[in-house]
Amino acid sequence: MTVSEIDSLITDYSVAGDVRDPYPEFVTLRRDNPVVRHEPYVPGGSPMVVVYRHADVTKVLRDNVTFSSAIMRDVMGEVMGQKIILAMDEPEHYRHRALVSAAFRQRALARWEESLIRQVVNDLIDQFIDRGQANLVTEFTFPFPTKVIAGVLGLPTEDYRQFQQWAVGIITSHGNPERGVRCSRELGEYLAGIIQDRRHHPRDDLISDLVAAEFDGERLDEEEMFSFLRLLLPAGVETTYRSSGNLLFLLMTHPDQLDALRQDRTLLPQAIEEALRFEPPLLITSRVACRDTELSGVAIPAGSMLTPVLGSANRDPDAYHEAEEFDIFRNPKQHTSFGTGPHMCLGMHLARMETRVAINALFDRLPNLRLDPDAVERDDPHIHGQIFRSPTALPVQWDTP
Amino acid sequence: MGHPLTLEIRIDPEKCMGSGNCSFWAPATFELGDDGIATVMDPDGDPEDKVVVAAKGCPTQAIAVLKDGQQLA
Repeated sequence: MTVSEIDSLITDYSVAGDVRDPYPEFVTLRRDNPVVRHEPYVPGGSPMVVVYRHADVTKVLRDNVTFSSAIMRDVMGEVMGQKIILAMDEPEHYRHRALVSAAFRQRALARWEESLIRQVVNDLIDQFIDRGQANLVTEFTFPFPTKVIAGVLGLPTEDYRQFQQWAVGIITSHGNPERGVRCSRELGEYLAGIIQDRRHHPRDDLISDLVAAEFDGERLDEEEMFSFLRLLLPAGVETTYRSSGNLLFLLMTHPDQLDALRQDRTLLPQAIEEALRFEPPLLITSRVACRDTELSGVAIPAGSMLTPVLGSANRDPDAYHEAEEFDIFRNPKQHTSFGTGPHMCLGMHLARMETRVAINALFDRLPNLRLDPDAVERDDPHIHGQIFRSPTALPVQWDTP
Repeated sequence: MGHPLTLEIRIDPEKCMGSGNCSFWAPATFELGDDGIATVMDPDGDPEDKVVVAAKGCPTQAIAVLKDGQQLA
């Protein structure tokens, strides 16, 4: 078997079936085969275990003693380096998270809402508002999170374009490792200068916060800081670009709910959560078993690589009423798209806030925002993907004076 | 007719990781202190169902909610 065949097998089994809609397959797997154990491809290798039920997924993510995150180093690839928080176990993870978490609390993030995020989304909307139509993926949902992260980091506005190019190179490094490594190195050199500057001249930005962060007398070293900042690109840009696109697509294909939300914006937070549950930007995550254990009666030997399928857990009828319906009015219940357990998404409050600001600005400024029926007929835009999912396009129109 | 019973909410500070998830789901009940540990501001701050969602969604299972001796979460 060639590497690419193994590769496609690895990526295929977690979302067997049509990548346009992996969910029907999840229904059968959750019912008949909720923990699928694939035996090693090579003698002496480790089994791969795919986990589909909500109860098992949350158990794996919460029990960080049995299920280690160390495998995330392999998953995220060489470009992201060794010192990434995603791949740390205790006690290293606790110390690291304590150093970076203060900057991502709701209270600390509030300062960005007015000054930065509203400005970023309005600048983007200014560029297409007179046209009456746009593709919101390329013109809005893709560019806005990069600009937000650049602003939160405190980068000069004139550097945003360059930052975006590095961000794209790093995010797509699986497809183009050479470019990914180059972008990562250039970004590292660029950030080293900014970090140095903030050590001497602290400002109101995230890099200054990280430079000053102290926990039990310890601080982040240079490499830890750079690893963390670089991780913000795949973790903070790619996910929000995809999740905000999914929310817009789901709303515009459910016009009754879209109208209700337009009339009553207090529904927006629960609409954001429901879109995250129904179509998570990232369908899976990874862990490795540290000891022999079992899940739903399936034996899991130490060393097994686990794939908890968040997208399946989110549609488990044992956890959610009418789980296959997109319904912003459902009784709220936590989904697994931010994960759970000690590694639960550090950026979730930023993601929620920037999505809320972005969607409100679109509704405020683009009256009667809707999908363009001709483009829908012609291009068949839809939410697509087997690991990451987001709309292929968002061709929209709105009323202009 | 009776007064609704006040919820008893317990947070285990040793388990709390400071995710702030509880204060998202039940913002009038929970808040994160400056030390990054969640505290109960007002056990009646939010409707019971919101408090239960917040407790059940705690990533480290640090929150217990009781009413009239019965554990709700």
